[in-house]
Amino acid sequence: MRAPDPHAPSWHPRGIRVLQILSIVLMWAFLGGVVAWMVNVVQLSLSLGDALTVSVGISLVVIPVYTLVAGVLTYVFFGLQRGRRDPES
Amino acid sequence: MRRFEPDSTRDETLFRPIEQTGARFYLTVSVLVAIILFALVMYTRQVVLGLRVTGMMQPVTWGFYIVNFVFFIGISHAGTLISAILRLTQAEWRRPITRMAEVITAIVLAIGALHPILDLGRPDRVMNVFLFGRLQSPLLWDVTSISAYFAASTVYLFLPLIPDIALIRERGKKHRWLYTFMSWGWQGTPEQWKVLTRAINIMMIVVVPIAVSVHTVISYIFAMTLQSGWHSTIFGPYFVVGAIFSGIAALFVAMIAFRSAFRLQAYLKLVHFQQLAKLLLAMSILWTYFTFGEYLTGYYGGEPEEMKTLLYKVAGRYAPLFWTMVVCNFVVPVVLLSSRRLRTIPGILVSSITVLIGMWLERLIIVVPSLENPRMPFPGRIYIPSLTEISLFTGALALFALGFVLFSKFFPIVSVWEVQEGRALGKEETVERVESYLPDDEVSHAGA
Repeated sequence: MRAPDPHAPSWHPRGIRVLQILSIVLMWAFLGGVVAWMVNVVQLSLSLGDALTVSVGISLVVIPVYTLVAGVLTYVFFGLQRGRRDPES
Repeated sequence: MRRFEPDSTRDETLFRPIEQTGARFYLTVSVLVAIILFALVMYTRQVVLGLRVTGMMQPVTWGFYIVNFVFFIGISHAGTLISAILRLTQAEWRRPITRMAEVITAIVLAIGALHPILDLGRPDRVMNVFLFGRLQSPLLWDVTSISAYFAASTVYLFLPLIPDIALIRERGKKHRWLYTFMSWGWQGTPEQWKVLTRAINIMMIVVVPIAVSVHTVISYIFAMTLQSGWHSTIFGPYFVVGAIFSGIAALFVAMIAFRSAFRLQAYLKLVHFQQLAKLLLAMSILWTYFTFGEYLTGYYGGEPEEMKTLLYKVAGRYAPLFWTMVVCNFVVPVVLLSSRRLRTIPGILVSSITVLIGMWLERLIIVVPSLENPRMPFPGRIYIPSLTEISLFTGALALFALGFVLFSKFFPIVSVWEVQEGRALGKEETVERVESYLPDDEVSHAGA
C-alpha cells in the first residue's frame, strides 16, 4: 500500500480521532440501551406475572450478541491503532 | 502474515464511479427521490387520515405492509449469509460478489424493518415495544433478532470495507476527511491485517446463526398462532429457504445492473453467475420440496378450517396467484438454470426476476388468504390493496435502489483488496488447499 501523501491537508487529525472514539462510545451506549430495554421487559414480566423465563432467556441471548458485536468493533479499532507504523500521526 | 499490499493505483474501473459523476447518476437519483417523495406524501396522508386509506379492514388486518416486511427481510438473507458461507468455504469466486451481497443486507434490513411501523395507524406507538413490550410475543422476538442482525451485518459490511476506504483515502480525490475518519488509521501493516482478519472471521461465524434466527422468528409470527394456513412446524426452515432463495435472486439483479452500469464485465464474469446460479437452482428445488410438504400434509390431514384456506389458495380466488408463484419459483428457474445452454446472463436475469415476483406472491399467499378465512365467526372479506399501499411498496423499492446507488457513489461496489488478494495469493492458496485434500501418492512395491 502506498504511503500517505505528505502534501495532503491534515484535516484536523485530532478532531477525526475524537469522532472515531465517539463512534465506538456510541456503539457501547447502544448496547447500554439494549440492556436497559431488556431489564425493563424482565421487570414488566415480573410485575405482570407472565413468562418470566422467556424474558430472561431471550435477554441471555440478546445481550451477549450485542456485547460481542460491540467488542469486535472495539477490538478492531484499538487493534488498528496499535498496529500503525506511526502511532502518533 | 500477509504477503501482498493492495494498490490504490490499480483497478481504476472500481474507483471510477466514486470519483466521476455523470448526468446518468443525477437522473437516476432524481427519479428515485421523486418516487420516494410521492410515497412520503402518501404516508403522511395515511398518518393524518388513519389506516382507512389502506385496503385493510377486519378481519384482514395485515396486508401489503406485512407482506413486504417479510419479503424485504427475506431478501436481506442474500447478503450476509451468502457472503459468510462463501468466505467460510473459501470459494475463490466469491471475491467480486461478497460486497454487493453485504450491501443488500444492510439496506434491505433497514427498509424491511420500517414496514411494521407503516402498518401502525399510530406510528408513535412503536415506543410501546420498548416501554411495555412483553417478550413472550413473537413480535418482540422479531424486534430483537432483526436489530441484532442489523447490527451484526452492518459491522460485517464495514470491516472488509476498511482496507478499501484506506485506498480511496490514499487516492485523495474527494472527501478525504470522511475516508480518514472511516479507515480508522488503516495502514495495511501485518499487525493490522491480523486484527482485521481475525475480526472478519469471528463475524462471519456469528452472522450465520443470527441470519437463520431472523427468518425463523419471522415465521413464528404466523406459526405460533392457530390460524389455518399458518400453524405449521416447518414454517421456520421453509421461511429461511425462501429467504435465501429470494436473496440470491435479488443479488443477481444487483450484479447484472451494476455490471452493465459500471462496466464491470472484467470483474463479474459469466463463471461467477453460473456458480451462483447453481445455488439458485438448488434453492428452487428445495423451496418446491418445502411447499409440497407444507401443502400435502395440510391436504392429507383434511381439517375443515385448514382445507377451506388451502382450497381458497390452490383452487379458489388465489389460484391464479398460487399457480403463477409455482411457475415463477419452480418451472422458470428449473428450465432456465438446469441447461448449460440457457444458463446465460439473460437467462439468469429472467429467472431472478421471476423468482422475486414468485417469492413476493408466496409471502402474499401466506399472509392474506389465512386472514380472509378466519377461524372466528367474522364475515370473510376480500383484501384489495389501496393506492397508498402500492405507492409505499414502490417507494420502498426506490429507497432500496437509491441506497445502493448512493453506496456505490462513496465505496467500491466490488471489494478492491479482495480482488487484488485473489490475484496475488488466490491461485497459490487454492493449489495448496487442493493438494491438502488429495490422498498421498502411494507407490506400489507389489511387483518389486
